[in-house]
Amino acid sequence: MGQESFTAQKRGGGAAATLPTTNGGRPARSVSSLLPRGRQIHKTFNNIKITILCGFVTILVLRGTIGLGNLVSSESDAVNQHLIEETNRVLDEIRSDKDPDDLDNPSEPEYNPNVTYTLGPKITNWDQERKSWLDRNPDFPNYVNGKARILLVTGSPPNPCDNSIGDHYLLKAIKNKIDYCRLHGIEIVYNMAHLDKELAGYWAKLPLIRRLMLSHPEVEWIWWMDSDALFTDMVFEVPLKKYDGYNMVIHGYPDLLFDQKSWIAVNTGSFLFRNCQWSLDLLDVWAPMGPKGPVRDEAGRVLTANLKGRPAFEADDQSALIYLFISQRNVWMDKVFVENSYFLHGYWAGLVDRYEEMIEKYHPGLGDERWPFVTHFVGCKPCGSYGDYPVEKCLRSMERAFNFADNQVLKLYGFRHRGLVSTKIKRIRNETVTPLEFVDQLDIRHSEQGSSGSQS
Amino acid sequence: MTESWFGQRRRRQLQRFLQKGKLTILCLFLTIIVLRGNLGAGKFGTPETDIEEIRETFSFYRKRVEPRRVLEEAETIKNDDASASGNNYATFDINKMFVDEEGDDIKPDPNKPYSLGPKISDWDEQRGDWLKRNPNFSNFIGPDKPRVLLVTGSAPKPCENPVGDHYLLKSIKNKIDYCRLHGIELFYNMALLDAEMAGFWAKLPLIRKLLLSHPEVEFLWWMDSDAMFTDMAYEVPWERYKDRNFVMHGWNEMVYDEKNWIGLNTGSFLLRNCQWSLDILDAWAPMGPKGKVRDEAGKVLTSALKGRPVFEADDQSAMVYLLVTEKDKWAEKVYLENHYYLHGYWGILVDKYEEMMENYHPGLGDHRWPLVTHFVGCKPCGKFGDYPVERCLKQMDRAFNFGDNQILQMYGFTHKSLASRRVKRTRNETSNPLEVKDDLGLLHPAFKAVKVSSS
Repeated sequence: MGQESFTAQKRGGGAAATLPTTNGGRPARSVSSLLPRGRQIHKTFNNIKITILCGFVTILVLRGTIGLGNLVSSESDAVNQHLIEETNRVLDEIRSDKDPDDLDNPSEPEYNPNVTYTLGPKITNWDQERKSWLDRNPDFPNYVNGKARILLVTGSPPNPCDNSIGDHYLLKAIKNKIDYCRLHGIEIVYNMAHLDKELAGYWAKLPLIRRLMLSHPEVEWIWWMDSDALFTDMVFEVPLKKYDGYNMVIHGYPDLLFDQKSWIAVNTGSFLFRNCQWSLDLLDVWAPMGPKGPVRDEAGRVLTANLKGRPAFEADDQSALIYLFISQRNVWMDKVFVENSYFLHGYWAGLVDRYEEMIEKYHPGLGDERWPFVTHFVGCKPCGSYGDYPVEKCLRSMERAFNFADNQVLKLYGFRHRGLVSTKIKRIRNETVTPLEFVDQLDIRHSEQGSSGSQS
Repeated sequence: MTESWFGQRRRRQLQRFLQKGKLTILCLFLTIIVLRGNLGAGKFGTPETDIEEIRETFSFYRKRVEPRRVLEEAETIKNDDASASGNNYATFDINKMFVDEEGDDIKPDPNKPYSLGPKISDWDEQRGDWLKRNPNFSNFIGPDKPRVLLVTGSAPKPCENPVGDHYLLKSIKNKIDYCRLHGIELFYNMALLDAEMAGFWAKLPLIRKLLLSHPEVEFLWWMDSDAMFTDMAYEVPWERYKDRNFVMHGWNEMVYDEKNWIGLNTGSFLLRNCQWSLDILDAWAPMGPKGKVRDEAGKVLTSALKGRPVFEADDQSAMVYLLVTEKDKWAEKVYLENHYYLHGYWGILVDKYEEMMENYHPGLGDHRWPLVTHFVGCKPCGKFGDYPVERCLKQMDRAFNFGDNQILQMYGFTHKSLASRRVKRTRNETSNPLEVKDDLGLLHPAFKAVKVSSS
């Protein structure tokens, strides 16, 4: 190292200084000749000793503080490096889409465009089948305690997100749904399997919904909810009585749908489907634009041409449904309730900044723009690599919405978040020896028991 | 002559002075280097930073060196244009986003002994009265089926390990599936209720709070986030515990005779909602508070229990110690279950899944088909685990798929293999879906039937 040689130099320089004269003007008689030879050797020897000693000390010190790389690399560093590489390899493998079974079945049979895609064999008597099943199985009724049985369905892809932040928000979103559904007696199905390779992506919900309907005749309503939608009103309940004559409830605006033919007239991120023949028929008619490949691309072009404001990309389920509603209005629309009196789907951008205002002025249970039922983070795509909006805005807003809802859950337990972007909580009510008085006051299930109470 | 002699002497003195001076300077220099190496010198840096600078000057590729962190990603810097616009999730540091307003809670008085809350002595009466007044919230949802709340949780911040959150997600999906099939309610906790009881002790204040806030719950089932259900058909034999209040997996001999610190496991246990449980929580808590108390307690536990390594007090060892030292008070109502895997240590189970699928069937819950596979020591959310990363994560995938297959078979699918995320059909779609029964009878199982007079 540089310092070493410097030291040696210094030492050498120092040694040189003790050797014969540096001074040119001195007489020929040098200092060393004054000394006997033995002394001279002794002196040199001493100098060398000191040189070696100092050099040794320097090396030790430098080695201790800097290390000398591959000359004397410590064992633990090498082991750690190996562990890091090994870990990264494992993580990359987990995150990639590679599957150990790809080697066994290298190619699935190619999709034949001449055959129209179907979700399954046509069923025509589902209503009767279902009714007779319910009659035969009275311990699996479709109405429990006067309320229709609802199944909330959501899901995410089976592999890790491109980024760990995405997985973290998927986790928070499912916790949010678990909380709402526990308070309202709704069951959850979280899907992580691609049931149909052709209907992948946003179309994956169609075969899933159909499958669940047919397997669970005791379920009256299937509620699909996107993984990026959060409940923000824990008290509000979907007013199912309003939809007695309808089979589908979807958030949207009729004028945008029929007059403007806008591609965002309704939102398929949160909607309800009754378990009946009509729904199966609608699914069958909805599916054909879905199959991946030339069908979906071609359908995308048709949709872009017919719907206002739609960018050019492959067919998505929402545009396809709107197109269906518009083109076959008479067939379907009398059983579809286009709901906008509360936010069955609430577009996040207009809502998240107003949470503080809402907390000040209003209260949970309203479900509308004063206290939105659902805040839906369309376009944020935290599970991918890029979203349509700045990352910071998306994540901060999702955190705020999550905490806004979590505060409503924690209220029963006497806690609240320390701010809408804080993960820490603080006490808002001291512990007491009679906790049940607060349970009666604050438990959301108890308060709604009093207000509902209608029989089936 | 005196003049020249004096000059000589002068010069000799000068020489000697120079010599000594050089030695002094040399030693001073060495001292400075040593001190700089050990203490650092502020903006003048340390030898490590010197090396860094030298490396950076001379090396072609920029590499981030992480000498001690095992499970952090070593990213290569992407030269993306999009990262500049802020739409890229990969470059966002989420920990900068969290802001804690409203200051910290008042620090508890260090002289007062820790308590989970004010002592309640009449919980059984309070709860009994409440249940009478609220017949709609009965503590039994079936003739032999108590109302159960499964409680689990994880930290509110993203995992340090980049795939940790993904495994937490799979784990909660697994629990959602089991609980849906068995009519159990689920509570996922992400809040630290008491900063003193952080880490593995955080479950105690949470459990107490939930017991007191949910009088309708008869049994609270705590389950760690790294435990997965692998037998979807097995129903816990509630009748067996009708006279017991606390059920853990363990062996009586290992706890009471051997005093072994792993004689029982507190990663998955059942606790009845009653006065006795509040009392045992109060007796359990004192070893928990972070800091001196926990460290001291750790030493006590290590000396008292067999096989326990030296570390701070953990809830499991504390429970063993409590049962051993106060056996007369508690043992009568504690049931150490080992006829089925209420907690199943993953190390001895995960390699046998294929064998199990060949020879046995779900619904057994024991060594032939474990109810729970618990990945103790894997710590997928943290930086360091006790086992190699690859083994842990791959086996967690297998356990997840093993359990998921039992769910998918209801709908006619299964995973292509235990290591694969892809699914394949096991039966074709039919036009008479209601005639098809799933093999395990999980679509409409007996333990999910509601009482006939439901309205």
